[in-house]
Amino acid sequence: MVKVGDMLVGYATDENVRSRGASGGLVTAVLAAALEKGLVENVVVMKHINEFEAVPIVTDNVEEVLASTGSLHSVPVNLAKYAMGRKVAMPAKPCDAQAVIEQGKRGMIDLDNTYVVGLNCGGSMHPVTTKKMLVEMYDIDPEDVVGEEIEKGKLIFKTKNGEEKAIAIDELEEAGFGRRESCRFCTLKIPVNADLACGNWGVIGDMAGNATFCQVMNEKGVKLLENAIEAGRIEVQPASEKAIAIRAKVNSVMEDLGSTLEKEIFPDIPDEERMQYYMEQMEDCIDCGACKEVCPVCACGEDSKCTMFHSLVDNYKMSMYHMVRLLHLSDSCIACGQCSDVCPSDIPITLLQSRFSIPSQRRRNYQPGINLDTPPFFEVILK
Amino acid sequence: MTEREWTPKIVAFCCNWCSYGGADTAGMGRFQQPASTRVIRVMCSGRIDPLHVFNAFLEGADAVLVTGCHIGDCHYVNGNEKTQVKYQFLEEMLQQLGLEPDRLHLNWISASEGERFANFINEVTAKVKELGPSPLKPAGVR
Repeated sequence: MVKVGDMLVGYATDENVRSRGASGGLVTAVLAAALEKGLVENVVVMKHINEFEAVPIVTDNVEEVLASTGSLHSVPVNLAKYAMGRKVAMPAKPCDAQAVIEQGKRGMIDLDNTYVVGLNCGGSMHPVTTKKMLVEMYDIDPEDVVGEEIEKGKLIFKTKNGEEKAIAIDELEEAGFGRRESCRFCTLKIPVNADLACGNWGVIGDMAGNATFCQVMNEKGVKLLENAIEAGRIEVQPASEKAIAIRAKVNSVMEDLGSTLEKEIFPDIPDEERMQYYMEQMEDCIDCGACKEVCPVCACGEDSKCTMFHSLVDNYKMSMYHMVRLLHLSDSCIACGQCSDVCPSDIPITLLQSRFSIPSQRRRNYQPGINLDTPPFFEVILK
Repeated sequence: MTEREWTPKIVAFCCNWCSYGGADTAGMGRFQQPASTRVIRVMCSGRIDPLHVFNAFLEGADAVLVTGCHIGDCHYVNGNEKTQVKYQFLEEMLQQLGLEPDRLHLNWISASEGERFANFINEVTAKVKELGPSPLKPAGVR
């Protein structure tokens, strides 16, 4: 029997899924079982196009779920919005899970009917940057890449003819490539806010590479796992002490790195220069509204306060649209980096936003998207 | 034409029940105050959206005052408590944006406190005069 708080190591029973999955195919098998047994009506998965592209799909076809197995580090899409108004199970990075909970707090997602299978995440990369990096740093044709892996601080690419090339992530980031900026200062690496926290950290010995470490976070996680075991899709066994210790160690190293990089990414700007800094950053804005469109924690809908003033006529020295958003997201921003990714003018909106939201959240000891005990600010203070 | 001395433009949001009355009392009691304020009457200070404050700054206000009834005296039970919550975030945000803290004020003024209203306006005008025009003021607006 599975209990809340259990630390398990498991893998898919289906050999095909197990070998194609990034680490044992447990997540794929759990999702497929949830769909098969009618626990959920749909599953959100990423449909691969190639190594750098994938599209999120909402499917009720088990075959499509099984076909989506395998991880991608360079498709940073936040899946939270696909869970709205549906009874779904979904794989989720820690930031996806945060967004799901933030939307749940605002009544946009029914958390009782949404099953979130969390995945450990050390950071993701922007596909365009990755392709450029492959050519400039790795000297590999992006078309030839068949796989990628992050191991011991190195980013490894595998090519068609079986070659592997590894470069340290620090080195890549110094050259301006590597992980997205929002991932560099992120300190939530294990999705403790999801229903299951899965990943390959802590899988050791002969299991390494073909099993998944899985921590059961709550009752929904128990349901998911038991359902998959019943369906005969997965096999699990308790994790050893050593495995748990290794996982905790990897996590603490990653978290420390995140907090160190945060100081580098957000250098202090003196009071009197800040206004100039923000104006310069935002002057390229073409008011397309893409940043609001992709924002996974924005719960306002199409007509909202920020878009009402979404006109160049209202923007004298600074865009009203951005001012409203900077204020509005100061409680909920999870710094997922979607807005920077989609910006056609390459404005680092996530970094600008984080300068407002991180201090504001810290001052109130509030971490967005962790659990339902901390409702949005306004509610907390007014009771 | 000689160059006039620059006087700040201050937008004061006043609640209908208390601070607007306070402004009236200030006039009736003949308390002197500079003609730098533009009073906007709202039914309750809780009605003041951060958006209104942003708009005032973007259209050329040098300072914005948010005023309402004393806590516990709100005509609508707890409207001013909501103002307080919103104001916290608004203040933090504008400070981070690099706007001087003296350009935004929150004050509770009751209908009988005419002198307090006049003093408040005097104080703010003097402070803003020292600071000079707001960095968010559009070109061509005095």
